[in-house]
Amino acid sequence: MGRYVIRRVLQFIPTVLGTMFLLHYLTSLGIQLTGNPVRALFGDRTPTPAMMAALSERLNLNDPCLTQTGNPCIGLFGERLVNIAQWDFGISLTGQREVTDIIGAALPYTIRIALIGFVFEAFVGILAGVLAGLRSGGFLDYFVKISTTLIIAVPIFVLGIVIREFVAVKFGNQLRADPNFPEIISRGFLAAGYKPDYPWASLFIPGLVLGATSLAVTARLTRTSMVENVRADYVRTARAKGLMPRRITGVHTLRNSLIPVVTSLGVDLGVLMGGAVVTETIFNVPGIGRVAAQSARTGDASVVIGIVTLAALIFLVANLLVDILYAVLDPRIRYE
Amino acid sequence: MKVRRSATIAVATAMTMLAVAACSSSETPTDTKTSGAGAAAGQKGGDLRIYATEPAFLLPTAGDDMPSINVIRQLYRGLVKYNAETGEAEMDLAESIESSDQKNWTVKLKTGYTFENGEPVNADAFIRAWNYAAYSPNAQNNAYFMSRIAGIDEMSSSDPDGDGPKEAPEPKAKELSGLKKVSDTEFTVELKDPFAGFPVTMGYSGFFPMADACLKDTKACNETPIGNGPYKIEGAWEHNVGITLVRSDTWKGDANDAMADKLSYRIFADDNAGYAAYQAGEIDVMEAVPSARYKEAKAQYGDTLFEAPGDTFTYVGLPLYRDEFKDKRVRQALALSIDRQPIIDAVFDGRFTAATGFVSPTFDGFRPDVCQYCKADPAKAKQLLDEAGGWKGDKLVLWGNAGVGHEKWLQAVGDQIKAALGIDYEIRVNLQFPEYLATADAKKFTGPFRLGWGPDYPVIETYLKPLYGTGGSSNNSTYTNPEFDKLITEGDSAASVEEAIAKYQAAEDILGEDMPVIPMWFGKVAALYSTNVDKFVFNKISDVEYGKITLKQK
Repeated sequence: MGRYVIRRVLQFIPTVLGTMFLLHYLTSLGIQLTGNPVRALFGDRTPTPAMMAALSERLNLNDPCLTQTGNPCIGLFGERLVNIAQWDFGISLTGQREVTDIIGAALPYTIRIALIGFVFEAFVGILAGVLAGLRSGGFLDYFVKISTTLIIAVPIFVLGIVIREFVAVKFGNQLRADPNFPEIISRGFLAAGYKPDYPWASLFIPGLVLGATSLAVTARLTRTSMVENVRADYVRTARAKGLMPRRITGVHTLRNSLIPVVTSLGVDLGVLMGGAVVTETIFNVPGIGRVAAQSARTGDASVVIGIVTLAALIFLVANLLVDILYAVLDPRIRYE
Repeated sequence: MKVRRSATIAVATAMTMLAVAACSSSETPTDTKTSGAGAAAGQKGGDLRIYATEPAFLLPTAGDDMPSINVIRQLYRGLVKYNAETGEAEMDLAESIESSDQKNWTVKLKTGYTFENGEPVNADAFIRAWNYAAYSPNAQNNAYFMSRIAGIDEMSSSDPDGDGPKEAPEPKAKELSGLKKVSDTEFTVELKDPFAGFPVTMGYSGFFPMADACLKDTKACNETPIGNGPYKIEGAWEHNVGITLVRSDTWKGDANDAMADKLSYRIFADDNAGYAAYQAGEIDVMEAVPSARYKEAKAQYGDTLFEAPGDTFTYVGLPLYRDEFKDKRVRQALALSIDRQPIIDAVFDGRFTAATGFVSPTFDGFRPDVCQYCKADPAKAKQLLDEAGGWKGDKLVLWGNAGVGHEKWLQAVGDQIKAALGIDYEIRVNLQFPEYLATADAKKFTGPFRLGWGPDYPVIETYLKPLYGTGGSSNNSTYTNPEFDKLITEGDSAASVEEAIAKYQAAEDILGEDMPVIPMWFGKVAALYSTNVDKFVFNKISDVEYGKITLKQK
């Protein structure tokens, strides 16, 4: 087991390096194709050459390779790696903040919303899947199947905006007009987006929206798996032994049905932690997804590279944890 | 400057439908002195919740974008301020700013003002801030504004071989030779060239003073500013989340500059998310109405939507470095073929004011209908083009930067030109903003190009010299006219601002004949405020006066 983990961790290195090179190449190509982003900071006010030079140097955008389209800028990449090895991810284009500071400040929000979304999707998703799977062909089964199809069919930006406009704003305003209604609900849970006064409550709805699509996938996966396993020999045996129905479902059927679900949930956790670009922007959550979206728009290469590298790392760790969890769920799986 | 427009103050009349989240103050106004005529002092107190976007910097020398300036103006104060109703420049921290030759200025300061850390706001506080801004290796965005002060050239250095391997040398000087301290309350400023408008420019936040402790650690000062204004920061700048300011107890200036107890700037990345927060009653003032929601906002919140003419200028520049644009009759013909108002109504829901001249309608010295070719007259356009011998170029290429929808209105412009003059056109909107601007800098446009301009200070010269002066910093048309340059220079060295304006206006008249660019329109300000707001105060020069806004007290 130990050796397996070490081997997997060593595999991270080429993956992360590859990711970083790809990011470096794409952002450099972006600058080569669209020009020095420093110029855009000044807009209509033409800066003096001295000013352009000073700022380009400070932002590490003065390398001549950034003007040669297609040049992979290997030298710049090497420099970047050396800096990153010393935990220096560079500074942002607008505001000239350390990228590590930016990520450090944004991460707690992303963790919070990801946690809410994850608990929601795992808990409700598995519950819905189990209930539907046990009553295959019944009303509940059809209800879960149809509602999850609907959720999967609606893109997250549509769902997010509809919920913000109709639930948080319109419905919320009805409740807010009533002074006797508890404020934690009307102003916290139903806030139009993240609100510093209610650091957890106002992230509740964004978290649900974030978890919605994965919830549908989790529910369907659990359901299919359950339907299959309910008819399995060992379940019939357990029932014949006279075990409690709760134990049959919980320990025998569900546990064995969870393997594909855990894979999907683990990958999802990585995705959620990597920042939800769309949901965070719609609900104004100051997490890394919102920062990533903004930085991509302004051509802020250092920030984009920092965030995506971090996201790749989180994703890899989440995947590793999933693989280890397999062994816990299914004793037949051994890592040697 | 003269009073031209009456108070731009709107009072909320609608009933309070949304409860105030948190505000209650027992404080009664003891000081009812007002800064301008006619402004009734509302009651102090409350928490004003403001829609904001992430500022780039909170350092006066670095912040040159609106989000930054909106906060800096409440934290810091400078020599001059602009009257909330008239926009007129008034002394703020300065006792007087005087000159006999418009080149050597003597600044006398009022005494008793201090920074939050107790340091006095003296001559050194201004000199050190300006020197810091001007020194090019500091890469401060507001270095640009120091360019009139003598000694600026020794403060900057450029790379001898462009982007090559050689490093830029250290600038020759670390201090502006034009700034001299006389005493703690007096300093002199020598300009490179005379400029009558110098005192008026001092209200720009780039000229605000900085404490010694601030310059010793600019990074810390950027996070927790050491200001000298009516508000101070509470805690530190919470990046991408919010900035909270509370009334400063060290502010010795006008007590009505800090009406609300607290200014809570909430930072949004997306104006639609901000608009939703406004609708949900979480925001009291939102200055940026999303363009797609403008009509809806006007219908739904008409009573609390403040609208005023703005000062952002959009023009279509003409590349005078190309032969086909050298004849002024061709340029006049192009200008005459465009009918602005239908484009504004159809493409922009009427959110702009059609330009009839080259300077903003909010400025002192503005005159309507300076540009006789800015009205649509296809017949005259055709006649002028024929007189000039017809169109000599190929297809007319209309340039705009990519990704922000310029093609919509450029197409309308192209269609109008084609209808009037029969010139075929094509639209080039494939360049992203940085490359587009670099193309402008390199004078490589092959046809009319869209660009904009915003004023740097409230003197109409800001719309003229940088854009059309020979060698002007943003003269993208490469227009040059000795007569124009002469009038600008005469205006700069005029004895008073009034005389200067007369000269500048004469210079503007020349543009109205030569048409180096086609003026399109000026922006309009649209700001939403909530029913919690008792009195909304908008300053046509320095924008929304958050500190002067009063809230309804419960």
